[in-house]
Amino acid sequence: MAARRPYVRPMQPGWWRRNPYFVRYMAREATAPFVALYALILLAGLVCLAEGPEAWRAYIEALQSRGWLALHVLLVGIFTYHTFSWFAIMPKTLPPVIVDGRRLEAGAITGAGLAAATLCMWILWIVAGGAA
Amino acid sequence: MEFIEADIAIVGGGGAGLRAAIAIAEADPGLSVALVSKVYPMRSHTVAAEGGAAGVVLDEDSLEAHFHDTVAGGDWLCDQDAVDYFVSQCTREMVQLEHWGCPWSRRPDGRPNVRAFGGMAMERTWFAADLTGFHMLHTLFQRSMKHPSIRRFDEHFVCDLLVDQGRAAGIVAVEIATGEFRAIQAGAVIIATGGAGRVFRQNTNGGIVTGDGMALAYRHGVPLRDMEFMQYHPTCMPGTGLLFTEACRGEGGLMLNKDGYRYLQDYGLGPPDPWPRKKAMELGPRDRLSQAFWHEERKGRTVTTPQGEAVHLDLRHLGRAKLQERLPQICELARDFLGIDPAEAPIPVRPAVHYTMGGIPTDVHAATSMDGLYAAGECASSGIHGANRLGSNSLAELLVFGRAAGEHAARYVREAAPAGGAALRWQAQDAQARARKVLAQAAGGERLAVLRDEMAQSMEHGCGIYRLEPEMQDTCRKLAQLKDRLAQVSLADKAAAWNTEWLGALELGFQLEVAEAMAHSALARRESRGAHQRLDSGITQRDDASFLKHSYAYRTHKGAPRIGWGDVVITRSQPGLRVYGGAAAPEAAHA
Amino acid sequence: MPDTRTIVLEVMRYDGAHDAEPRFQSYEIPFTDDMSVLQGLQHVKDHVDGTLTYRWSCRMAICGSCGMMLDGEPKLACRSFLRDFAPGPLRIEPLEHFPIERDLVVDIGDFVEKLARVKPWIEPRVARALEDGPYIQAPAELDRFESFSHCINCLLCYAACPQYGHDPGFLGPAATAMLQRYNLDSRDGAAKERMEVAHSEEGVWSCTAVGYCSEVCPKAVDPANAVNRTKTESAVDWFTRFLRRGD
Repeated sequence: MAARRPYVRPMQPGWWRRNPYFVRYMAREATAPFVALYALILLAGLVCLAEGPEAWRAYIEALQSRGWLALHVLLVGIFTYHTFSWFAIMPKTLPPVIVDGRRLEAGAITGAGLAAATLCMWILWIVAGGAA
Repeated sequence: MEFIEADIAIVGGGGAGLRAAIAIAEADPGLSVALVSKVYPMRSHTVAAEGGAAGVVLDEDSLEAHFHDTVAGGDWLCDQDAVDYFVSQCTREMVQLEHWGCPWSRRPDGRPNVRAFGGMAMERTWFAADLTGFHMLHTLFQRSMKHPSIRRFDEHFVCDLLVDQGRAAGIVAVEIATGEFRAIQAGAVIIATGGAGRVFRQNTNGGIVTGDGMALAYRHGVPLRDMEFMQYHPTCMPGTGLLFTEACRGEGGLMLNKDGYRYLQDYGLGPPDPWPRKKAMELGPRDRLSQAFWHEERKGRTVTTPQGEAVHLDLRHLGRAKLQERLPQICELARDFLGIDPAEAPIPVRPAVHYTMGGIPTDVHAATSMDGLYAAGECASSGIHGANRLGSNSLAELLVFGRAAGEHAARYVREAAPAGGAALRWQAQDAQARARKVLAQAAGGERLAVLRDEMAQSMEHGCGIYRLEPEMQDTCRKLAQLKDRLAQVSLADKAAAWNTEWLGALELGFQLEVAEAMAHSALARRESRGAHQRLDSGITQRDDASFLKHSYAYRTHKGAPRIGWGDVVITRSQPGLRVYGGAAAPEAAHA
Repeated sequence: MPDTRTIVLEVMRYDGAHDAEPRFQSYEIPFTDDMSVLQGLQHVKDHVDGTLTYRWSCRMAICGSCGMMLDGEPKLACRSFLRDFAPGPLRIEPLEHFPIERDLVVDIGDFVEKLARVKPWIEPRVARALEDGPYIQAPAELDRFESFSHCINCLLCYAACPQYGHDPGFLGPAATAMLQRYNLDSRDGAAKERMEVAHSEEGVWSCTAVGYCSEVCPKAVDPANAVNRTKTESAVDWFTRFLRRGD
């Protein structure tokens, strides 16, 4: 009689484009290489700093070119999304957080993370502004 | 056809079947168990049970009280030796399940909690939120995975038993995925296939509850007992029949007619206390509550909904927190299917068929009248429910008699001579041929669904909450006619693999047999008792003199079943009046 | 008498005996506001095309049989309503990432094997005889694992998980939820054994915290939480293994 002939559907390239949830996920993943890229930029700055005031000044001047400034603006946008999506997924990685005998909602954890991130940004902005 | 050997074959992988399998594996791990189910076990209808399972725990409670509530609840049609055995084992089984991981809801001190339930004088219903059947089933299924001696045949549809000179010797099943037949030769067979509520139109049951095991045994000469007793659960969703657990009422829910009046007080269930008094009002037994609805509908005092008449189940006063904690699934059901938030609005409910009290008769060892054949769970008539089952006794029954069936079947196969022989091969081939014949029926005939719907309508009409002789006779005639028409039905699906239309036709064959047993037994019982209530003049009351007896439906070669009668085992509780309402439980309810 | 509205269902069909690959078939059916997608399919099978094949049973989102893709999203057919997709066409396909047996029926054997792999039963931390009664478990202890115990094995989460789609060897959301359900149960003592199943890509490490599994779960089990907590435990296990020499 009939043997089983199960049909296996292969995952389609572009599978992630059909669903807005997956698009947001891929966007989140896509921000990661940019974080790595910026780490390299900061590392370059550290090296220049170690080499002395001349090298450091050259580094800072280079970063003020239009190209680099544009890149930085883009990076701020990317990192904002990265931060937001990072804290959005954070509740999934934690055991239940109990406050006052009640479980904290995922939204509260995400909110707290975003609030802390915003606060840090503010402080850095003020410190950086003071230093400049 | 592949022939497989096992020591014990279990048909049905729900609560009772799984409990039996585990019992065998624990009692005698050297025995091989074939657990055969037409669905994956976690889909079995045990999963849908909500409210709880009974087991005496409170100091103020006693086995005697559980015994008495059950016997009275069954309108004295219970076999009291079976009830005695049952109540003595319930608590042990609840503890056993707890040890296996069942997440019973707890009191603040960490002990399992118990709640009040319909017809029970004391809180003794263990519960896991309002998902008790779900948690019990998953606990049992997952536990069964620990035992290598249990070999599962998932999605195998049993179409016949193998019987060797009057002794159960195995089963024949279709492997649904391929359409191939397999025979399992076994020293004993346990039937745990559940009830037959789908023969009625509005019911709480899943699609798979089609009385398969009852019909399998019936076709081999085993009578079906007390089939006229079908339980209507009073609080179900109009239209779909989906269940709103009795626990809604155990937690204090009220039932109101269209005038906002707690109508149950008009039917001997009062007084209408503001707090839940046990065995009174909304905590009365299910048959009485369903009958009250029928009367209210006749009086025009029910609420009209797009799905038909209903009354209101009012849970608003429980408050959102308690609803979320104790009745979360109910809230989901009301919200998803009816767009109702039970914290804000009452839920429209009406009776629907829920439970089959009758079935394959068994003794306290879960043994049937056929050697080597055992039955447990809703497919069995263990004698504990009588004419009306109390809520939370059924989930407990799965465990108590599931275990009994497993242990006794295990003992039987160790002691009995091996079954078998060439005759079994021939029987298996014959079963295959008969099942395949249905598939090959000629084109141009009726559709299956037409017959199924006619059966369900006729059963609802003729074997409803209240019954009349001419209507039952109509139903009996209709069922006979449907059996003939089934032989001519045309299937659109001719495939071998995954042919659920064909399996549906086999199921309809089972259902028509079981429905006939129900309708003819109902006609023959000329009294009103428990869930079987007649409006024919002269037989609207209980008649212990003539009918304190079990009915037995025997299949005949052609035509209507023959109905016989047998004694009820009465030990120490003489038939009395079923007393509910204020007179039954004068004390206040516990918190 | 309300107007009879109709909806078009575009259902994926596949019969291994005749079809080289799946195809779509359209059905236009009447429906009312309270009809579920499952009832729509039943209407087709009962009155239009008896060959249409799907799994179902309880009709109340507790048996887990009727999972399928509705317009590309994994859903339970019994709890999805035609009114939300009208006039259609509503595309109905079998659950993603599982081999199709026939029409809307998929082979779920892989999950059943994985469920058994996580040893989903209590190995008591402290032995207790039945005569001693039940274990004491405080409501707070029950709360630690209760939501993981709500899994109805509907497998919408496996259909949702692209990592499972890429690599069916991945243990996956529901099986890991059951692993956590038992590890977190105060009565159980077999967490260490169960974790052995977790420590690999065939365990939990294929997970990249997409999180869609928890989005589609009809019972708020939050399997993404189960998997990612298990990853944390697995990582801690690995880093502290030097401290446990002789274990």
